[in-house]
Amino acid sequence: MSALLSLRDIGKSFGGLAALSGISFDVQQGEIVGVIGPNGAGKTTLFNVITSVFPPTAGEVILDGERISGLPPHKITKRGITRTFQNIRLFSTMTVEENVMVGRHCRTGAGVWQGVLHTGKERREERGIRAKTRELLDLVGLSGTDVEMAAGSLPYGHQRRLEIARALAAEPRLLLLDEPVAGMNNAETQDVFELIKKVQSLGVTILLIEHDMSLVMKACDRLVVFNFGRKIAEGTPAEVQDNPQVIEAYLGTEERDADA
Amino acid sequence: MEWLNPYHLQVASFVLINAILGVSIYVTLSTGQLSLGNAGFMSIGAYTAALLSTQHQIPIPVGIAAGSLLAGVAGILVGIPALRLSGVYLAIATLGFGEVLRAVLINWESLTGGAVGIAAIPQMGRVILAWASDRGFSPESLGLQPNQFISLMVFTILLLCTVLTISFFLRLSRSRVGRAYTAIRLDESAAAAAGIPITYYKVLAFSQGALLSGFAGALFAHSTSFVSPGDFTYHRAVEILVFAVFGGSEHIFGPVFGAAFLTVAPEALRAISDYRYILYGILLVAMMIFRPQGVIDPALLRRFRRSAKGTPA
Repeated sequence: MSALLSLRDIGKSFGGLAALSGISFDVQQGEIVGVIGPNGAGKTTLFNVITSVFPPTAGEVILDGERISGLPPHKITKRGITRTFQNIRLFSTMTVEENVMVGRHCRTGAGVWQGVLHTGKERREERGIRAKTRELLDLVGLSGTDVEMAAGSLPYGHQRRLEIARALAAEPRLLLLDEPVAGMNNAETQDVFELIKKVQSLGVTILLIEHDMSLVMKACDRLVVFNFGRKIAEGTPAEVQDNPQVIEAYLGTEERDADA
Repeated sequence: MEWLNPYHLQVASFVLINAILGVSIYVTLSTGQLSLGNAGFMSIGAYTAALLSTQHQIPIPVGIAAGSLLAGVAGILVGIPALRLSGVYLAIATLGFGEVLRAVLINWESLTGGAVGIAAIPQMGRVILAWASDRGFSPESLGLQPNQFISLMVFTILLLCTVLTISFFLRLSRSRVGRAYTAIRLDESAAAAAGIPITYYKVLAFSQGALLSGFAGALFAHSTSFVSPGDFTYHRAVEILVFAVFGGSEHIFGPVFGAAFLTVAPEALRAISDYRYILYGILLVAMMIFRPQGVIDPALLRRFRRSAKGTPA
Protein backbone atom coordinates (compact mmCIF):
# COMPACT_ATOMS: atom_id res chain seq x y z
CA MET A 1 0.00 0.00 0.00
CA SER A 2 1.35 3.38 -0.90
CA ALA A 3 1.28 6.23 1.56
CA LEU A 4 -0.99 9.29 1.27
CA LEU A 5 1.90 11.64 1.91
CA SER A 6 5.46 10.70 1.36
CA LEU A 7 8.41 12.94 2.15
CA ARG A 8 11.62 11.93 0.43
CA ASP A 9 14.87 13.33 1.70
CA ILE A 10 13.52 16.85 2.19
CA GLY A 11 16.09 19.57 2.79
CA LYS A 12 15.54 23.28 3.23
CA SER A 13 18.29 25.84 3.72
CA PHE A 14 18.00 29.55 4.29
CA GLY A 15 21.26 30.99 3.09
CA GLY A 16 23.83 28.77 4.76
CA LEU A 17 21.49 27.66 7.51
CA ALA A 18 19.97 24.21 7.11
CA ALA A 19 16.50 24.36 8.65
CA LEU A 20 15.69 20.85 7.48
CA SER A 21 17.90 18.09 6.17
CA GLY A 22 17.27 14.55 5.04
CA ILE A 23 13.70 14.38 6.23
CA SER A 24 11.90 11.25 5.04
CA PHE A 25 8.73 9.71 6.38
CA ASP A 26 5.32 8.53 5.21
CA VAL A 27 1.85 9.33 6.39
CA GLN A 28 -0.75 6.64 5.77
CA GLN A 29 -4.35 7.32 4.84
CA GLY A 30 -6.49 7.90 7.95
CA GLU A 31 -3.63 8.30 10.42
CA ILE A 32 -2.97 11.06 12.89
CA VAL A 33 0.76 11.66 12.87
CA GLY A 34 2.33 13.98 15.41
CA VAL A 35 5.39 16.06 14.62
CA ILE A 36 7.16 16.95 17.82
CA GLY A 37 10.47 18.43 18.82
CA PRO A 38 11.97 21.41 20.63
CA ASN A 39 11.39 24.95 19.39
CA GLY A 40 13.37 25.70 16.26
CA ALA A 41 13.58 22.04 15.27
CA GLY A 42 12.06 22.78 11.85
CA LYS A 43 8.49 21.59 12.35
CA THR A 44 6.75 24.65 10.95
CA THR A 45 9.35 24.84 8.18
CA LEU A 46 8.27 21.33 7.21
CA PHE A 47 4.63 22.49 7.00
CA ASN A 48 5.73 25.44 4.88
CA VAL A 49 7.57 23.09 2.52
CA ILE A 50 4.61 20.71 2.25
CA THR A 51 2.20 23.59 1.47
CA SER A 52 4.69 25.26 -0.91
CA VAL A 53 5.03 28.50 1.03
CA PHE A 54 8.58 27.94 -0.20
CA PRO A 55 10.00 25.03 -2.21
CA PRO A 56 12.38 22.53 -0.62
CA THR A 57 16.04 22.95 -1.53
CA ALA A 58 16.33 19.16 -1.78
CA GLY A 59 14.05 16.17 -1.98
CA GLU A 60 10.42 15.87 -2.92
CA VAL A 61 6.94 15.82 -1.48
CA ILE A 62 4.68 13.09 -2.89
CA LEU A 63 0.93 13.14 -2.39
CA ASP A 64 -0.86 9.97 -3.36
CA GLY A 65 1.89 8.98 -5.75
CA GLU A 66 2.21 12.39 -7.41
CA ARG A 67 5.01 14.84 -6.87
CA ILE A 68 3.56 18.11 -5.51
CA SER A 69 6.66 20.01 -4.45
CA GLY A 70 7.08 23.03 -6.69
CA LEU A 71 3.36 23.56 -7.28
CA PRO A 72 2.00 26.96 -6.20
CA PRO A 73 0.27 26.96 -2.76
CA HIS A 74 -3.29 27.18 -4.08
CA LYS A 75 -2.76 24.08 -6.23
CA ILE A 76 -1.52 22.17 -3.18
CA THR A 77 -4.76 23.17 -1.47
CA LYS A 78 -6.75 22.00 -4.47
CA ARG A 79 -4.90 18.67 -4.44
CA GLY A 80 -6.18 18.20 -0.92
CA ILE A 81 -3.73 19.56 1.66
CA THR A 82 -4.85 22.42 3.90
CA ARG A 83 -3.41 23.83 7.07
CA THR A 84 -3.79 26.05 10.09
CA PHE A 85 -1.13 28.42 11.33
CA GLN A 86 0.84 28.53 14.55
CA ASN A 87 -0.05 32.19 15.04
CA ILE A 88 -3.68 32.28 13.95
CA ARG A 89 -4.12 33.84 10.52
CA LEU A 90 -7.79 34.50 10.00
CA PHE A 91 -9.10 37.23 7.73
CA SER A 92 -9.82 39.28 10.81
CA THR A 93 -12.15 41.95 9.43
CA MET A 94 -14.19 39.49 7.41
CA THR A 95 -17.09 37.82 9.16
CA VAL A 96 -16.94 34.38 10.75
CA GLU A 97 -19.06 33.01 7.90
CA GLU A 98 -16.98 34.64 5.15
CA ASN A 99 -13.79 33.16 6.54
CA VAL A 100 -15.12 29.66 6.01
CA MET A 101 -16.64 30.64 2.66
CA VAL A 102 -13.19 31.74 1.46
CA GLY A 103 -12.00 28.24 2.28
CA ARG A 104 -14.51 26.86 -0.25
CA HIS A 105 -12.82 28.83 -3.03
CA CYS A 106 -11.02 25.98 -4.73
CA ARG A 107 -14.10 23.72 -4.68
CA THR A 108 -16.28 26.30 -6.41
CA GLY A 109 -15.99 28.14 -9.70
CA ALA A 110 -18.18 31.23 -10.14
CA GLY A 111 -16.24 33.91 -12.00
CA VAL A 112 -16.66 37.66 -12.38
CA TRP A 113 -19.70 37.66 -14.67
CA GLN A 114 -21.53 34.91 -12.86
CA GLY A 115 -20.96 36.73 -9.58
CA VAL A 116 -22.17 40.05 -10.95
CA LEU A 117 -25.16 38.71 -12.86
CA HIS A 118 -26.22 36.29 -10.10
CA THR A 119 -26.84 33.53 -12.57
CA GLY A 120 -28.89 30.58 -11.42
CA LYS A 121 -25.78 28.46 -11.26
CA GLU A 122 -24.00 31.05 -9.14
CA ARG A 123 -26.94 31.34 -6.73
CA ARG A 124 -27.02 27.58 -6.30
CA GLU A 125 -23.29 27.52 -5.74
CA GLU A 126 -23.51 30.28 -3.10
CA ARG A 127 -26.30 28.40 -1.35
CA GLY A 128 -24.11 25.31 -1.35
CA ILE A 129 -21.19 27.28 0.08
CA ARG A 130 -23.36 28.65 2.88
CA ALA A 131 -24.80 25.24 3.68
CA LYS A 132 -21.33 23.70 3.85
CA THR A 133 -20.18 26.64 5.98
CA ARG A 134 -22.98 26.11 8.50
CA GLU A 135 -22.19 22.41 8.59
CA LEU A 136 -18.51 23.08 9.30
CA LEU A 137 -19.20 25.75 11.92
CA ASP A 138 -21.42 23.20 13.58
CA LEU A 139 -18.70 20.54 13.37
CA VAL A 140 -16.08 22.73 15.06
CA GLY A 141 -18.57 23.86 17.70
CA LEU A 142 -19.17 27.41 16.53
CA SER A 143 -22.80 27.05 15.54
CA GLY A 144 -23.83 29.18 18.50
CA THR A 145 -21.78 32.22 17.53
CA ASP A 146 -22.94 35.21 15.52
CA VAL A 147 -21.70 34.37 12.03
CA GLU A 148 -21.93 38.04 11.02
CA MET A 149 -19.35 38.95 13.64
CA ALA A 150 -15.85 39.96 12.56
CA ALA A 151 -13.57 36.93 12.90
CA GLY A 152 -10.98 39.02 14.73
CA SER A 153 -13.36 39.74 17.59
CA LEU A 154 -13.94 36.07 18.40
CA PRO A 155 -12.41 34.74 21.61
CA TYR A 156 -9.01 33.11 21.08
CA GLY A 157 -10.14 29.50 21.35
CA HIS A 158 -12.93 30.10 18.88
CA GLN A 159 -10.50 31.66 16.42
CA ARG A 160 -8.49 28.43 16.45
CA ARG A 161 -11.65 26.44 15.73
CA LEU A 162 -12.67 28.83 12.98
CA GLU A 163 -9.30 28.36 11.35
CA ILE A 164 -9.84 24.60 11.39
CA ALA A 165 -13.29 25.10 9.83
CA ARG A 166 -11.74 27.24 7.07
CA ALA A 167 -9.12 24.57 6.41
CA LEU A 168 -11.80 21.86 6.26
CA ALA A 169 -13.91 23.89 3.82
CA ALA A 170 -11.54 22.91 1.00
CA GLU A 171 -12.34 19.23 1.73
CA PRO A 172 -8.75 18.24 2.40
CA ARG A 173 -7.47 14.68 2.37
CA LEU A 174 -4.64 15.79 4.62
CA LEU A 175 -4.99 18.47 7.28
CA LEU A 176 -1.90 20.08 8.79
CA LEU A 177 -2.50 21.49 12.25
CA ASP A 178 0.21 23.76 13.64
CA GLU A 179 -0.10 23.85 17.43
CA PRO A 180 -3.90 23.82 17.60
CA VAL A 181 -4.02 23.93 21.40
CA ALA A 182 -1.25 26.46 22.05
CA GLY A 183 -2.35 28.74 24.87
CA MET A 184 -5.43 26.70 25.75
CA ASN A 185 -6.47 25.37 29.16
CA ASN A 186 -7.17 21.68 29.86
CA ALA A 187 -10.88 21.82 29.12
CA GLU A 188 -10.32 23.60 25.81
CA THR A 189 -7.53 21.18 24.92
CA GLN A 190 -9.89 18.27 25.58
CA ASP A 191 -12.46 19.87 23.23
CA VAL A 192 -9.87 20.23 20.48
CA PHE A 193 -8.78 16.62 21.03
CA GLU A 194 -12.35 15.50 20.47
CA LEU A 195 -12.59 17.72 17.40
CA ILE A 196 -9.42 16.22 15.93
CA LYS A 197 -10.78 12.72 16.47
CA LYS A 198 -14.07 13.72 14.87
CA VAL A 199 -12.24 15.10 11.84
CA GLN A 200 -10.25 11.88 11.58
CA SER A 201 -13.47 9.87 11.66
CA LEU A 202 -14.60 11.83 8.60
CA GLY A 203 -11.70 10.29 6.70
CA VAL A 204 -9.26 13.18 6.93
CA THR A 205 -5.64 12.31 7.58
CA ILE A 206 -3.95 14.63 10.06
CA LEU A 207 -0.40 15.81 10.56
CA LEU A 208 -0.15 17.55 13.89
CA ILE A 209 2.53 19.80 15.34
CA GLU A 210 2.03 20.11 19.06
CA HIS A 211 3.96 20.77 22.24
CA ASP A 212 1.19 19.56 24.54
CA MET A 213 2.47 16.03 25.20
CA SER A 214 -0.70 14.77 26.83
CA LEU A 215 -2.61 15.63 23.67
CA VAL A 216 0.04 14.22 21.35
CA MET A 217 0.26 10.92 23.24
CA LYS A 218 -3.51 10.57 23.31
CA ALA A 219 -4.35 11.70 19.78
CA CYS A 220 -1.56 10.42 17.58
CA ASP A 221 -1.16 7.02 16.00
CA ARG A 222 2.48 7.68 15.27
CA LEU A 223 5.02 10.36 16.10
CA VAL A 224 7.94 11.84 14.22
CA VAL A 225 10.50 13.62 16.35
CA PHE A 226 12.60 16.49 15.05
CA ASN A 227 15.68 18.11 16.47
CA PHE A 228 17.92 20.68 14.75
CA GLY A 229 16.23 20.10 11.40
CA ARG A 230 16.69 16.33 11.43
CA LYS A 231 14.37 13.47 12.15
CA ILE A 232 15.73 11.78 15.26
CA ALA A 233 12.99 9.23 15.90
CA GLU A 234 9.77 7.81 14.55
CA GLY A 235 7.27 5.35 15.96
CA THR A 236 4.23 4.90 18.15
CA PRO A 237 3.90 7.30 21.09
CA ALA A 238 5.04 4.55 23.48
CA GLU A 239 8.13 3.74 21.42
CA VAL A 240 9.10 7.36 21.06
CA GLN A 241 8.60 8.08 24.73
CA ASP A 242 11.31 5.59 25.68
CA ASN A 243 13.75 6.56 22.95
CA PRO A 244 16.93 7.85 24.61
CA GLN A 245 17.62 10.30 21.78
CA VAL A 246 14.18 11.86 22.25
CA ILE A 247 14.66 12.16 25.98
CA GLU A 248 18.00 13.78 25.33
CA ALA A 249 16.50 16.27 22.87
CA TYR A 250 13.87 17.31 25.35
CA LEU A 251 15.71 17.08 28.66
CA GLY A 252 19.37 17.32 27.65
CA THR A 253 22.05 14.79 28.64
CA GLU A 254 22.67 13.87 32.22
CA GLU A 255 25.78 15.43 33.60
CA ARG A 256 27.48 12.17 34.53
CA ASP A 257 30.65 13.88 35.54
CA ALA A 258 28.90 15.67 38.37
CA ASP A 259 28.15 12.37 40.09
CA ALA A 260 31.55 10.92 39.58
CA MET B 1 -35.78 75.45 -15.42
CA GLU B 2 -33.22 78.08 -14.53
CA TRP B 3 -31.51 75.82 -12.01
CA LEU B 4 -30.76 73.32 -14.75
CA ASN B 5 -27.87 75.33 -16.05
CA PRO B 6 -24.97 73.80 -17.96
CA TYR B 7 -22.54 74.81 -15.24
CA HIS B 8 -24.28 72.76 -12.54
CA LEU B 9 -24.64 69.88 -14.93
CA GLN B 10 -20.98 70.03 -15.85
CA VAL B 11 -19.91 69.89 -12.21
CA ALA B 12 -22.27 66.97 -11.75
CA SER B 13 -20.74 65.27 -14.80
CA PHE B 14 -17.25 65.65 -13.36
CA VAL B 15 -18.51 64.18 -10.10
CA LEU B 16 -19.66 61.12 -12.02
CA ILE B 17 -16.45 60.70 -14.02
CA ASN B 18 -14.45 61.09 -10.83
CA ALA B 19 -16.69 58.56 -9.10
CA ILE B 20 -15.75 56.00 -11.76
CA LEU B 21 -12.09 56.89 -11.22
CA GLY B 22 -12.68 56.44 -7.50
CA VAL B 23 -14.05 52.95 -8.14
CA SER B 24 -11.04 52.22 -10.36
CA ILE B 25 -8.57 52.80 -7.54
CA TYR B 26 -10.85 51.00 -5.09
CA VAL B 27 -10.92 47.82 -7.19
CA THR B 28 -7.14 47.61 -7.35
CA LEU B 29 -6.81 48.52 -3.68
CA SER B 30 -9.30 45.83 -2.71
CA THR B 31 -6.56 43.27 -3.40
CA GLY B 32 -4.06 45.36 -1.45
CA GLN B 33 -2.32 46.87 -4.48
CA LEU B 34 -1.76 50.62 -4.52
CA SER B 35 -1.66 51.80 -8.13
CA LEU B 36 -0.92 55.39 -9.04
CA GLY B 37 -1.05 54.57 -12.74
CA ASN B 38 -4.75 55.30 -13.09
CA ALA B 39 -4.18 58.72 -14.67
CA GLY B 40 -2.06 56.94 -17.28
CA PHE B 41 -4.71 54.30 -17.97
CA MET B 42 -7.25 57.10 -18.14
CA SER B 43 -5.21 58.76 -20.87
CA ILE B 44 -5.14 55.50 -22.86
CA GLY B 45 -8.93 55.38 -22.80
CA ALA B 46 -9.31 59.07 -23.57
CA TYR B 47 -6.86 59.18 -26.47
CA THR B 48 -8.09 55.92 -27.98
CA ALA B 49 -11.69 57.11 -27.98
CA ALA B 50 -10.70 60.59 -29.20
CA LEU B 51 -8.54 59.32 -32.06
CA LEU B 52 -11.03 56.70 -33.19
CA SER B 53 -13.85 59.23 -33.40
CA THR B 54 -11.91 62.18 -34.85
CA GLN B 55 -9.73 60.32 -37.36
CA HIS B 56 -11.70 57.21 -38.19
CA GLN B 57 -15.28 58.37 -37.59
CA ILE B 58 -15.92 55.34 -35.37
CA PRO B 59 -19.23 55.63 -33.46
CA ILE B 60 -18.77 57.00 -29.93
CA PRO B 61 -19.93 53.90 -27.98
CA VAL B 62 -17.56 51.68 -29.97
CA GLY B 63 -14.70 54.11 -29.33
CA ILE B 64 -15.46 54.18 -25.60
CA ALA B 65 -15.53 50.38 -25.46
CA ALA B 66 -12.27 50.16 -27.42
CA GLY B 67 -10.58 52.74 -25.18
CA SER B 68 -11.65 50.89 -22.03
CA LEU B 69 -10.53 47.53 -23.35
CA LEU B 70 -7.17 48.84 -24.50
CA ALA B 71 -6.60 50.35 -21.05
CA GLY B 72 -7.59 46.99 -19.54
CA VAL B 73 -5.08 45.15 -21.72
CA ALA B 74 -2.42 47.70 -20.77
CA GLY B 75 -3.40 46.94 -17.18
CA ILE B 76 -2.62 43.26 -17.68
CA LEU B 77 0.73 44.09 -19.28
CA VAL B 78 1.69 46.46 -16.46
CA GLY B 79 0.05 44.31 -13.81
CA ILE B 80 2.05 41.15 -14.43
CA PRO B 81 5.54 42.60 -13.85
CA ALA B 82 4.08 44.83 -11.12
CA LEU B 83 3.21 41.68 -9.15
CA ARG B 84 6.79 41.55 -8.03
CA LEU B 85 6.28 44.84 -6.25
CA SER B 86 4.07 45.78 -3.38
CA GLY B 87 3.22 48.76 -1.25
CA VAL B 88 5.11 51.93 -1.94
CA TYR B 89 7.31 50.29 -4.60
CA LEU B 90 4.26 49.42 -6.65
CA ALA B 91 2.96 52.97 -6.21
CA ILE B 92 6.22 54.43 -7.50
CA ALA B 93 6.44 52.04 -10.45
CA THR B 94 2.88 52.72 -11.57
CA LEU B 95 3.36 56.45 -11.13
CA GLY B 96 6.42 56.11 -13.36
CA PHE B 97 4.33 54.27 -15.92
CA GLY B 98 1.84 57.15 -16.01
CA GLU B 99 4.56 59.73 -16.46
CA VAL B 100 6.27 57.74 -19.24
CA LEU B 101 2.95 57.45 -21.00
CA ARG B 102 2.43 61.21 -20.72
CA ALA B 103 5.86 61.81 -22.21
CA VAL B 104 4.87 59.59 -25.12
CA LEU B 105 1.63 61.54 -25.60
CA ILE B 106 3.56 64.83 -25.67
CA ASN B 107 6.24 63.62 -28.07
CA TRP B 108 4.36 61.41 -30.50
CA GLU B 109 2.99 64.52 -32.18
CA SER B 110 1.94 62.88 -35.46
CA LEU B 111 -0.55 60.71 -33.62
CA THR B 112 -1.51 62.59 -30.47
CA GLY B 113 -1.12 66.21 -31.44
CA GLY B 114 1.63 66.63 -28.85
CA ALA B 115 1.21 69.00 -25.94
CA VAL B 116 -1.71 70.71 -27.69
CA GLY B 117 -3.77 67.56 -27.50
CA ILE B 118 -6.84 66.64 -29.54
CA ALA B 119 -9.68 69.10 -30.06
CA ALA B 120 -13.09 68.84 -31.67
CA ILE B 121 -13.82 65.39 -30.29
CA PRO B 122 -17.52 64.67 -30.92
CA GLN B 123 -19.36 65.56 -27.74
CA MET B 124 -21.96 63.00 -26.66
CA GLY B 125 -24.70 65.56 -25.99
CA ARG B 126 -24.20 67.38 -29.27
CA VAL B 127 -24.19 64.16 -31.24
CA ILE B 128 -27.46 63.11 -29.65
CA LEU B 129 -28.99 66.55 -30.29
CA ALA B 130 -27.90 66.47 -33.94
CA TRP B 131 -29.29 62.97 -34.32
CA ALA B 132 -32.59 63.92 -32.69
CA SER B 133 -32.89 67.19 -34.64
CA ASP B 134 -32.56 65.26 -37.89
CA ARG B 135 -35.67 63.41 -36.85
CA GLY B 136 -37.59 66.58 -36.20
CA PHE B 137 -37.04 66.79 -32.44
CA SER B 138 -36.48 70.16 -30.84
CA PRO B 139 -35.31 70.56 -27.23
CA GLU B 140 -37.66 73.53 -26.91
CA SER B 141 -40.52 71.07 -27.00
CA LEU B 142 -39.32 69.95 -23.54
CA GLY B 143 -38.87 73.57 -22.47
CA LEU B 144 -35.06 73.27 -22.68
CA GLN B 145 -32.43 75.42 -24.34
CA PRO B 146 -30.18 73.43 -26.73
CA ASN B 147 -27.18 73.77 -24.41
CA GLN B 148 -29.30 72.68 -21.45
CA PHE B 149 -30.37 69.63 -23.43
CA ILE B 150 -26.79 68.83 -24.40
CA SER B 151 -25.53 69.00 -20.81
CA LEU B 152 -28.50 67.03 -19.58
CA MET B 153 -27.81 64.25 -22.10
CA VAL B 154 -24.16 64.07 -21.06
CA PHE B 155 -25.17 63.97 -17.42
CA THR B 156 -27.75 61.24 -18.02
CA ILE B 157 -25.32 59.03 -19.93
CA LEU B 158 -22.64 59.48 -17.29
CA LEU B 159 -25.13 58.78 -14.52
CA LEU B 160 -26.12 55.57 -16.23
CA CYS B 161 -22.47 54.54 -16.67
CA THR B 162 -21.63 55.38 -13.05
CA VAL B 163 -24.61 53.53 -11.62
CA LEU B 164 -23.78 50.51 -13.77
CA THR B 165 -20.12 50.62 -12.70
CA ILE B 166 -20.93 50.91 -9.01
CA SER B 167 -23.54 48.18 -9.05
CA PHE B 168 -21.23 45.91 -11.04
CA PHE B 169 -18.45 46.20 -8.49
CA LEU B 170 -20.80 46.23 -5.52
CA ARG B 171 -22.15 42.89 -6.65
CA LEU B 172 -18.69 41.63 -7.44
CA SER B 173 -17.51 42.53 -3.94
CA ARG B 174 -20.23 40.28 -2.50
CA SER B 175 -19.40 37.33 -4.71
CA ARG B 176 -16.82 34.56 -4.61
CA VAL B 177 -14.38 36.78 -6.51
CA GLY B 178 -14.96 39.67 -4.10
CA ARG B 179 -14.24 37.44 -1.11
CA ALA B 180 -11.03 36.33 -2.79
CA TYR B 181 -10.01 39.99 -3.29
CA THR B 182 -10.62 40.82 0.36
CA ALA B 183 -8.85 37.71 1.58
CA ILE B 184 -5.78 38.61 -0.51
CA ARG B 185 -5.79 42.16 0.85
CA LEU B 186 -6.03 40.97 4.46
CA ASP B 187 -3.46 38.15 4.36
CA GLU B 188 -1.90 37.03 1.13
CA SER B 189 -0.30 33.83 2.33
CA ALA B 190 -3.36 32.74 4.31
CA ALA B 191 -5.41 33.38 1.16
CA ALA B 192 -3.03 31.22 -0.88
CA ALA B 193 -3.27 28.49 1.74
CA ALA B 194 -7.06 28.73 1.51
CA GLY B 195 -6.75 27.83 -2.16
CA ILE B 196 -6.93 31.24 -3.84
CA PRO B 197 -4.68 31.76 -6.89
CA ILE B 198 -3.09 35.04 -5.83
CA THR B 199 -1.46 35.94 -9.14
CA TYR B 200 -4.63 35.52 -11.14
CA TYR B 201 -6.75 37.69 -8.88
CA LYS B 202 -4.16 40.40 -8.43
CA VAL B 203 -3.72 40.79 -12.18
CA LEU B 204 -7.49 40.62 -12.65
CA ALA B 205 -8.09 43.41 -10.13
CA PHE B 206 -5.26 45.48 -11.55
CA SER B 207 -6.61 45.26 -15.08
CA GLN B 208 -10.18 45.89 -13.93
CA GLY B 209 -8.94 49.10 -12.29
CA ALA B 210 -7.09 50.03 -15.49
CA LEU B 211 -10.13 49.27 -17.63
CA LEU B 212 -12.30 51.49 -15.44
CA SER B 213 -9.79 54.32 -15.61
CA GLY B 214 -9.79 53.98 -19.39
CA PHE B 215 -13.58 53.98 -19.36
CA ALA B 216 -13.63 57.19 -17.31
CA GLY B 217 -11.04 58.71 -19.67
CA ALA B 218 -13.07 57.84 -22.76
CA LEU B 219 -16.22 59.31 -21.21
CA PHE B 220 -14.22 62.37 -20.25
CA ALA B 221 -13.01 62.84 -23.86
CA HIS B 222 -16.55 62.69 -25.21
CA SER B 223 -17.91 65.00 -22.50
CA THR B 224 -15.40 67.82 -22.80
CA SER B 225 -14.55 67.30 -26.51
CA PHE B 226 -10.94 68.18 -25.79
CA VAL B 227 -8.06 66.17 -24.27
CA SER B 228 -4.40 67.00 -23.77
CA PRO B 229 -1.53 65.43 -21.81
CA GLY B 230 -2.14 68.11 -19.17
CA ASP B 231 -5.33 66.29 -18.16
CA PHE B 232 -3.40 63.20 -17.08
CA THR B 233 -0.57 64.48 -14.97
CA TYR B 234 0.82 63.38 -11.65
CA HIS B 235 -1.76 65.68 -10.04
CA ARG B 236 -4.58 63.64 -11.52
CA ALA B 237 -3.04 60.42 -10.18
CA VAL B 238 -2.80 61.91 -6.71
CA GLU B 239 -6.29 63.32 -6.94
CA ILE B 240 -7.66 59.83 -7.63
CA LEU B 241 -5.67 58.49 -4.69
CA VAL B 242 -7.11 61.19 -2.44
CA PHE B 243 -10.65 60.09 -3.36
CA ALA B 244 -9.84 56.75 -1.75
CA VAL B 245 -7.82 58.07 1.16
CA PHE B 246 -10.40 60.69 2.07
CA GLY B 247 -13.54 58.73 1.30
CA GLY B 248 -12.24 55.38 2.53
CA SER B 249 -11.06 52.36 0.61
CA GLU B 250 -12.69 49.49 2.48
CA HIS B 251 -16.08 49.91 0.87
CA ILE B 252 -16.90 50.95 -2.69
CA PHE B 253 -18.97 53.90 -1.45
CA GLY B 254 -15.85 55.38 0.19
CA PRO B 255 -14.02 56.54 -2.95
CA VAL B 256 -17.34 57.39 -4.61
CA PHE B 257 -18.16 59.71 -1.72
CA GLY B 258 -14.59 61.05 -1.77
CA ALA B 259 -14.86 61.79 -5.49
CA ALA B 260 -18.19 63.56 -5.10
CA PHE B 261 -17.14 65.62 -2.10
CA LEU B 262 -13.75 66.61 -3.47
CA THR B 263 -15.21 67.57 -6.84
CA VAL B 264 -18.05 69.69 -5.47
CA ALA B 265 -16.17 71.33 -2.61
CA PRO B 266 -13.67 73.28 -4.78
CA GLU B 267 -16.56 74.55 -6.90
CA ALA B 268 -18.48 75.65 -3.84
CA LEU B 269 -15.31 77.30 -2.54
CA ARG B 270 -14.40 78.97 -5.83
CA ALA B 271 -12.74 81.84 -4.02
CA ILE B 272 -10.00 79.64 -2.64
CA SER B 273 -9.66 77.22 -5.55
CA ASP B 274 -6.06 78.37 -6.07
CA TYR B 275 -5.22 76.68 -2.78
CA ARG B 276 -6.82 73.39 -3.74
CA TYR B 277 -3.64 71.33 -3.58
CA ILE B 278 -2.67 72.86 -0.25
CA LEU B 279 -6.08 71.87 1.04
CA TYR B 280 -5.63 68.36 -0.37
CA GLY B 281 -2.37 68.07 1.53
CA ILE B 282 -3.84 69.30 4.79
CA LEU B 283 -6.86 67.06 4.35
CA LEU B 284 -4.65 64.02 3.74
CA VAL B 285 -2.56 64.65 6.83
CA ALA B 286 -5.65 65.29 8.93
CA MET B 287 -7.26 62.07 7.71
CA MET B 288 -4.11 60.08 8.50
CA ILE B 289 -4.24 61.37 12.04
CA PHE B 290 -7.94 61.33 12.84
CA ARG B 291 -9.57 58.78 10.57
CA PRO B 292 -7.03 56.66 8.72
CA GLN B 293 -9.70 54.36 7.27
CA GLY B 294 -11.41 57.30 5.48
CA VAL B 295 -14.79 58.91 6.05
CA ILE B 296 -16.77 55.84 5.05
CA ASP B 297 -15.97 52.40 6.40
CA PRO B 298 -18.05 49.22 6.67
CA ALA B 299 -18.79 49.89 10.36
CA LEU B 300 -20.29 53.29 9.51
CA LEU B 301 -22.43 51.75 6.77
CA ARG B 302 -23.65 49.04 9.14
CA ARG B 303 -24.72 51.73 11.60
CA PHE B 304 -26.58 53.55 8.82
CA ARG B 305 -28.32 50.39 7.76
CA ARG B 306 -29.37 49.61 11.31
CA SER B 307 -30.74 53.08 11.97
CA ALA B 308 -32.55 52.93 8.62
CA LYS B 309 -34.27 49.78 9.85
CA GLY B 310 -35.19 51.64 13.02
CA THR B 311 -33.30 49.38 15.41
CA PRO B 312 -30.72 50.96 17.71
CA ALA B 313 -27.10 50.35 16.79
